[in-house]
Amino acid sequence: MPRRVSWKKTLIVAKREYTTRVKSKGYWIGTLILPLLMSALFIIPGLIFSRTTSELDLVVVDTTGGEIAQGLQQRLEARRTDEERHLASFEVTVEAPQADAEAQRAALDRRLLDEKIDAWMWIDDAGLADDEVEYRARSVSNTFSQEMLARDLSTVVRELRLTRAGYDPSQIGGLLEPVDLDTVRVSAKGSRKQAGEVGFFFAYGIFFLLYIVLMIWGQQVLQGVLEEKSSRVVEVIVSAVTPFELMMGKLLGIGAAALTQFGLWLACIVALTAPGLVASLVSLPEDVGLPSVSILQAFFLLVFFLLGFLVYSTMYAAVGAAFNNVQEAQQLSMIPTMSIISPMLFLFPVLNDSTGALAVVTSMVPIMAPILMPLRIAVEMPPLWQVLLSIAITAGFIWLMVGVCSRIYRVGILMYGKKPTIQELWRWVRYA
Amino acid sequence: MTITPTLELVGLRKSYGKFVAVDGVSLAVPPGTIFGLLGPNGAGKTTTIRMIMDIIAPDEGQVLFAGRPRRREDLERIGYLPEERGLYRRMTVVEQLAFLGELHGVAAAEAKRRAMAWLERLELADRAPRKVEELSKGQQQKVQIAGTLLHEPEVVILDEPFSGLDPINQGLFKDLLAEYKQQGRTILFSTHIMEQAEKLCDHIGLISKGRVVLDGELADIKRRLGGNAFRLTAAGDLERVRSVAGVEEVVLDPDAPDRARLFLAPDADGARVLAELVGFLAVRDFRNEEPELGEIFVKVVRDAA
Repeated sequence: MPRRVSWKKTLIVAKREYTTRVKSKGYWIGTLILPLLMSALFIIPGLIFSRTTSELDLVVVDTTGGEIAQGLQQRLEARRTDEERHLASFEVTVEAPQADAEAQRAALDRRLLDEKIDAWMWIDDAGLADDEVEYRARSVSNTFSQEMLARDLSTVVRELRLTRAGYDPSQIGGLLEPVDLDTVRVSAKGSRKQAGEVGFFFAYGIFFLLYIVLMIWGQQVLQGVLEEKSSRVVEVIVSAVTPFELMMGKLLGIGAAALTQFGLWLACIVALTAPGLVASLVSLPEDVGLPSVSILQAFFLLVFFLLGFLVYSTMYAAVGAAFNNVQEAQQLSMIPTMSIISPMLFLFPVLNDSTGALAVVTSMVPIMAPILMPLRIAVEMPPLWQVLLSIAITAGFIWLMVGVCSRIYRVGILMYGKKPTIQELWRWVRYA
Repeated sequence: MTITPTLELVGLRKSYGKFVAVDGVSLAVPPGTIFGLLGPNGAGKTTTIRMIMDIIAPDEGQVLFAGRPRRREDLERIGYLPEERGLYRRMTVVEQLAFLGELHGVAAAEAKRRAMAWLERLELADRAPRKVEELSKGQQQKVQIAGTLLHEPEVVILDEPFSGLDPINQGLFKDLLAEYKQQGRTILFSTHIMEQAEKLCDHIGLISKGRVVLDGELADIKRRLGGNAFRLTAAGDLERVRSVAGVEEVVLDPDAPDRARLFLAPDADGARVLAELVGFLAVRDFRNEEPELGEIFVKVVRDAA
């Protein structure tokens, strides 16, 4: 470990890393392009989808009396005004069954092939007895349309069966009503209703943000650590600052640049969605709250976000420290990438039982804590000592990793041109 | 009276596996001198300098700065120009210099002021807001030199400073070093080019295969080791000179068949040798002359082996 760390010099290094990045054109292009790209990713397919879904011309032949066909027609017509209409919609024509069924079916198939219609449906008693209705179409890959059709058909058939069994048609709607879970989260501050999935999405959101930020900035850290070596300025620099100060300064400076970018994006999102968000909050039923996050919890979430950034970026830094150029480093850079994903293995068990032994243990493991502990905090505030211990372990791990990086770096800098083996790396860590 | 050396190396040793790069180097650099660390490529000069700069840790021995073990902070008082040179390519020239100054303890505003002053002096003021990668190689070298000296170090350590420099920058650098010496600062530089050292240094330390084979004041060394060297110009069989009593070494001049350099035993008398020579040669010229550093080096290394 370092004999003594000069934070003043660490900050000078951090300042350089930060300002050279923030002043570069690439940074601002990246800052602007990603939101554009992301929104394009969401908006454009939506636009294309909504434009291209044409109505399906569906012919229904009902040999069982016509009630099913009529019921289905009504339901599908009603759908053409609801919100799923851009996903699928049908133009239904009910045709009476003819005496020669085979001839009628052959004629329907011909119309199908001639593209006069898109699909036809044949309802008969034999099929209904097996709970089946024949559906023939040129394309059977439009699952959305088919699911919707099946759902509506089921409802119609169910209602009809109940009516025939002697139920009052006016009661049937109520009898078929599905049941939802009314989730209530109980915490020390009193119980409060919470939309069930919100807790999960909240935690998942944190993971996803961290993942995105690191996908973009992990490489930056890796390249940043290589910068002195590739430009050969390294000897002058490490004679003025220790490798530890250099590593720490880089992590902090690059981290600050990443957070600045992240903050800008967040501000953008808030600014763009604020009106909608407020509107939806107002329209929410009063007793359904957003995940109740106290100031303390929010503070811890922020702390873990920062720790998470540092934990994973020190791993990229270690990879950068060991090699002379990006090409060599590329192979090993999958190690940090994998370690970001590792908490995903425990996401569901921890979510299910956020106070269980597995949750407690995994949220203390440095490479998983930055994602699993916020998850636990979001679900239910764990005992304070657990949170603090997790922070302490993670911070200690970061310190250790920076130490390891700087040792590898210190030895590695002077080995121009030679790619080290794993054994050599290990020797460098122990040596120095 | 003993003067505390500015920099003292005590038994420095560094090995890489079985290869011993530096094998017990002890040297003292007196204040206010230009000290030349000499030796052929691979002798251990760079490793020694890196140990002084705390870039690599010695296996044994220590570095003293102003009489006490060198601390990390002392490095701020040293200006270091490594053999492997480079600058941050994407940083502007003025920011680069200011950054290097700040790293060596100069306050930010002052560092910027000095950076501009240096750029004025080097006639690069118009390049200040440019990125380093936009500069010519010669201009980059100037920036590098300014970066080494910006924090006005008391001690300047230069590893093969003239290699790769264009002639203009070599001249510039030599002037700067002379100026620094006048101001009483201490300069240590390594080179494998003996003529360079001979012109610039007051003190030298000769290293061969990781060991110091010779060190001291240049004038003293020449007196001590070169006192009995002579230049001979004569017609006849110069090879025969080797057999003359008192002659230790004869170096024939490859360019002129009638010339040779003679090294006599320390107690040999030049006049007596000349008396013998005239017996079989037509001697035109025979004079006592200081040997070149390179010759001394070759002789010392051979004697040490």
